[in-house]
Amino acid sequence: MSDRALRTTMIVLATIGLGVASYLTYVHYSGMPPLCSTTHNTCLKVQTSIYSKLAGVPVALIGLIGYVVILASLLAPQREQTRFATMAFTLAGFGFSAYLTGREAFSLHEYCEWCLSSAAIMTVLACLSTWRFLRGAPAPGVPAGPSAEADAGTPLAAGS
Amino acid sequence: MSPASGPDPDLTRKERREQARAERKAMEAAAAQTAQRKRMLQLGGVIGLVVVLVVVIVLATSGGGGGGTGLQKGSKSNATVATVKSLVGGIPQSGNVLGNPNAPVTLQYFGDLECPICREFTLTSLPTIIKKYVRTGKLKIEYNSLETATHEQETFREQQVAAYAAGKQNLAWYFIELFYHEQGPEDSGYVTESYLQGLAQQVPGLNLPNWSAARNAPAYAEQVTHDAQVANAEGFTGTPSFLIGKSGQHMEKLETVSPEEVSGFEAAINKQLS
Repeated sequence: MSDRALRTTMIVLATIGLGVASYLTYVHYSGMPPLCSTTHNTCLKVQTSIYSKLAGVPVALIGLIGYVVILASLLAPQREQTRFATMAFTLAGFGFSAYLTGREAFSLHEYCEWCLSSAAIMTVLACLSTWRFLRGAPAPGVPAGPSAEADAGTPLAAGS
Repeated sequence: MSPASGPDPDLTRKERREQARAERKAMEAAAAQTAQRKRMLQLGGVIGLVVVLVVVIVLATSGGGGGGTGLQKGSKSNATVATVKSLVGGIPQSGNVLGNPNAPVTLQYFGDLECPICREFTLTSLPTIIKKYVRTGKLKIEYNSLETATHEQETFREQQVAAYAAGKQNLAWYFIELFYHEQGPEDSGYVTESYLQGLAQQVPGLNLPNWSAARNAPAYAEQVTHDAQVANAEGFTGTPSFLIGKSGQHMEKLETVSPEEVSGFEAAINKQLS
């Protein structure tokens, strides 16, 4: 998989995650119940539980900020440091998602589909960004994708 | 430059070029290996930090968020008893029901005494509901049990029967309120016989021998089973869950309510009163 394809995939995933987090943040502040396929709206129970906030900040808002930061690191000129930043942010997001999913499973005994989808997105993002960071910058002239140097200063969103 | 370190004069130009290329490739490979080692170290550092972060969050939220600190003693216990007394004292109680028996609206509260969300509801929204609607005779609240947070069925039954047994002396709501106020950390196994006895001793006016005897009555264990059947029939799997309706008439689910936000309850109660 070329670096460009990998980055495009990650941007798409982060954008979907941003959409999920934005919806949950909106639901939190508007007070409306979230859409949920379960008959007794387990999403509402999770979203209004004591674990829906961390230090008074809604976890949905923390997720939204997280996705914005991840997207920013993906859209920034690609260098070793930005690949490292993307990996660090997504691994932090993965850790936080794991904590929240653990709370759903072991404390609330209820699951929210929106939260689980965000956790799944963050898990894939963490795997892809770690793989991308460990394999390093693509070699110049490799046809599979543009080099890091050639890519620098050209945000993918504009170039693809 | 010494002759020893320079190109071998016996080599052809092509051989010297190949030798230089091999040396360059070896250097590149060494540099790549160093860079890879550095990346692995950075990855390890990030994973370590994330693990520390998650552990800190879990510890921070297990104290306040996952329940209280357990059975209180001394002045702290006195203060909690005083708080509960000022909340439910003087309000008629009958078994597991708090409020005027002729109140026009009934709210059924399905809870697990070890459930931290129920604790949050009981300590934040419920006092307002009691002051505004129960104390004024408009609403009565019936406490029903539903096992969610308590992981051992036997413990769940014991603690719930202990609460219902206090209801034989029309003091169940003192026991329930005190339990939630003095709830321990989740999954810590704090509910023991001495914990239940300690709570019972705090209930104002509770006759302990009679309470102990009532705990053996099969009716209360049957009531716990009946509660579970009602909750299952309603499709409840989480706590707190609620049913509301005009007293003696059909009860409907109160679903779209955040336990922390009292306004949802007020709207539902007002609708039933109107």
